[in-house]
Amino acid sequence: MASFIQLLVSGLATGAIYALVAVGFSLLWQTSQTINFAQGEFVMLPAFFILAAMSAGAPFWLAVLIGIALSVVVLGWLFKVVIVDPMLIYGVLPLVISTIALSLFLKEAAKDFYSAQAQPFPTLVPATDLEVFGAVVSTQSLAVLLVAIVTVVALHLLLHKTRLGRSMQATAQNPTLARILGIPVQRMVLYTFLLNGVLVAIASILITPIYLAKFTNGEVLGMAAFLAAIIGGFNQVRGAILGGLILGVLDNLSAVYISSQYRGAFPLLILIAVILLRPHGLLGRAEERSV
Amino acid sequence: MSAVLEVSNLRKSFGGITAVNDVSFDVREGEILGIIGPNGSGKSTLFNCVLGQLMPNAGEVRVDGKATTGMRPCDLNRLGVSRTFQLLQVFPQLSVRDNLILAGQEHRGSMLSRLFGKSDAGLGDAARKMIDFFQLSHLSDEQAGALSYGQQKLLDAAMAFMAGPRLVLLDEPAGGVNLTMLAHLRERLRAYHAERHATFVVIEHQMEFVMALCTRVLVLAEGHIIAQGAPQDIRRNPAVIEAYLGGQSA
Amino acid sequence: MNRLGAIALGAATILAIVAPFFLRRYGIYLISMWAVLTIAAIGLNLTLGYAGQVSLAQGAFVGIGAYTVALLTQAGWPYPAAFVCAGALCFAIGWCLGYPALRVQHHYLAFVTLAFTTLVFLVLRNEEWLTNGIYGITGTARPVLFGWSTGSALDFYFFCLGMLAVLAAATWWMLRSPWGRAFLALRENPLRALSLGLDTRRYTLMAFALGSSLGGMAGALYAPLVQFIEPNSFGLGMSFNLLLMVIVGGSGYFFGPFIGALVAVLLPEWTRFTEGYYLLLYAALVMALMAFCPSGLLGLVERVSKAMTRRAPPPSKMRAEGTNP
Repeated sequence: MASFIQLLVSGLATGAIYALVAVGFSLLWQTSQTINFAQGEFVMLPAFFILAAMSAGAPFWLAVLIGIALSVVVLGWLFKVVIVDPMLIYGVLPLVISTIALSLFLKEAAKDFYSAQAQPFPTLVPATDLEVFGAVVSTQSLAVLLVAIVTVVALHLLLHKTRLGRSMQATAQNPTLARILGIPVQRMVLYTFLLNGVLVAIASILITPIYLAKFTNGEVLGMAAFLAAIIGGFNQVRGAILGGLILGVLDNLSAVYISSQYRGAFPLLILIAVILLRPHGLLGRAEERSV
Repeated sequence: MSAVLEVSNLRKSFGGITAVNDVSFDVREGEILGIIGPNGSGKSTLFNCVLGQLMPNAGEVRVDGKATTGMRPCDLNRLGVSRTFQLLQVFPQLSVRDNLILAGQEHRGSMLSRLFGKSDAGLGDAARKMIDFFQLSHLSDEQAGALSYGQQKLLDAAMAFMAGPRLVLLDEPAGGVNLTMLAHLRERLRAYHAERHATFVVIEHQMEFVMALCTRVLVLAEGHIIAQGAPQDIRRNPAVIEAYLGGQSA
Repeated sequence: MNRLGAIALGAATILAIVAPFFLRRYGIYLISMWAVLTIAAIGLNLTLGYAGQVSLAQGAFVGIGAYTVALLTQAGWPYPAAFVCAGALCFAIGWCLGYPALRVQHHYLAFVTLAFTTLVFLVLRNEEWLTNGIYGITGTARPVLFGWSTGSALDFYFFCLGMLAVLAAATWWMLRSPWGRAFLALRENPLRALSLGLDTRRYTLMAFALGSSLGGMAGALYAPLVQFIEPNSFGLGMSFNLLLMVIVGGSGYFFGPFIGALVAVLLPEWTRFTEGYYLLLYAALVMALMAFCPSGLLGLVERVSKAMTRRAPPPSKMRAEGTNP
């Protein structure tokens, strides 16, 4: 039981991180037809921004701020303006290809311009262990869980309780209607990109201490984002959150209770099952058939 | 005469807006039914529900007695229901002839037999006849994208007729076509109808086109049917005139 | 195909036949690899260029084909039988994989194939009793056909070239049939195609299954070419590589894969001086290409040749039009 709680807590912690990445991913998809195959690399990169700032002399807290700012500007604004907007004219498919090429580019750039070796990354809190109900839980897991939960709650408040957030949601669900209602759709779309920049930066700060800063992180994290978004139902933000949490917990549980060799397989099988049986995801709304 | 198309209690809403509200009507064999109504009356939504493009919230659609509500457009087409499009939808990179062969090929044999059969799926003659019927013979090998707007409209109709359908739904066939071409189109539609005893349903804005072509007219406003009958009667119907106030009237 | 294109094709064919005699062993290996990867790219082109679906599993299918042939020939099967088996198996798997994924919209196939590639890698790595795990399988025999041994580098190259010619011709023949017209309709205007009775789902599935099958057949040639196969070769890296090949060459163009594969095989050689930055360069080039000319190199060629031979508009266009939309 004790180890179960342990796994549950660390699973929820990882899951919360996946949720942040999945939410950003699904918001981009909903608002601007952008299927961002580079989302995993977007989570990999801010850690390197921070490490670079630190090696230039900045203290951790400053480097974090720089990292988030860079993430918002480069992975949010620049991404939209330089890659998404010009490509969307040609259609969704060229954009998908571009983001696939982008993911390769970012991965190689991190490898070539920073390092091919895994780099240690500072944790938010000193790594000690606590006892909770007889289980040994690391403070790191708890800190991650706390920050992630706070972010998710803040995100929820933003999207549901503020006018800006509701406008963004309206833009995501029905851009034409939103435009008719006088919502500045283009600006809302820009905000979604900037928001994604913030989310991936936070996710990066939370997960990199565990995974270490490696240029290959993007593969796993990207896959987690896609799986979480689809399993949860990507046309609802709540779905992406639920998908992320489920994925995190399952990931941890399956590593222990199922062979660790096939650890990665379980979520993939769930993906295929979801697509087969309930394609709009667990929480998603059944979509209007368009063809 | 049996009903080729039966629409019963059809309802379609988008969020809070009900575009089609409890609409029922029949189309008898050999009719040319016109569906008119001001903008926003629900004509296009109705069409799309009948054609399987949209899933209605309630109600039923039957073709020749067979329930077809929500059937995929390709399956519906194989049952003998065909359509033209309001916005031009020919295949611009294919020649006129290839467009027509494409329009008919899926009705010839199975998918596998088509792989091993002739390149034109045996439709070379049929395509030529259709091209001649619409008087597009001199354009047979031209890329469809190079045709004028009116010619593409004719091609669109030709494609809809290619598989010899029972029922053809025409979505604003007169839109954007000049008067000469319009007369030609209307005349060709009537000729096809006479020759093949086909059944048409036409959505149109242009009253003159509808009055000249249709045998019966149905008027939609705000998702309801407000009148139906012979064209001359509809023209004089006060409810219809009021619904159209400000728009194109008879 | 216009006159210039026919000349180019003729010249390329002659080059393909004559070149190996002037190359050393490594050069012959490279052009053999080109031929094999072109087959896989032709398959992916069917899926992507003709049916408009992104598949990230082509590398996995090459892997399945390679392992199938390696294991079957090891077990004593004659090569031709193993080859056919590889193709058939990949067709069946492709069909089963695509069936649920293509029932929904939104490029779900991309994610399903992404997941599938990882699953295949896991199976290849973990099931050591079958695949020898990370230690891989060495020494897949090159076939002896009607007395002709393809063992030497030169002979095997001509075998690969021959298979490429046969499979390319079969694909060409398929695209000349009504199926080709259907694929074009599918790509250009699926909505219209549906309304004409064209089962877009079925055709897309067929394109994906056939494309995967070609991937398997490429794998069947890959194993005896490379003589050492291991799970890492057939992961996302190869799938991305093949995808980029199709894109760079020009997706939807028949000869796109040939050109794309050539670029992919030669680029690392030409950029050796950049010391391993070549992937970065490649990715940057692809992004630039997508921004400038998303229809790839052949698309660029078409654009240039159209600009150079601008025709007078056909007479029909010059007739006065009354009302216009």
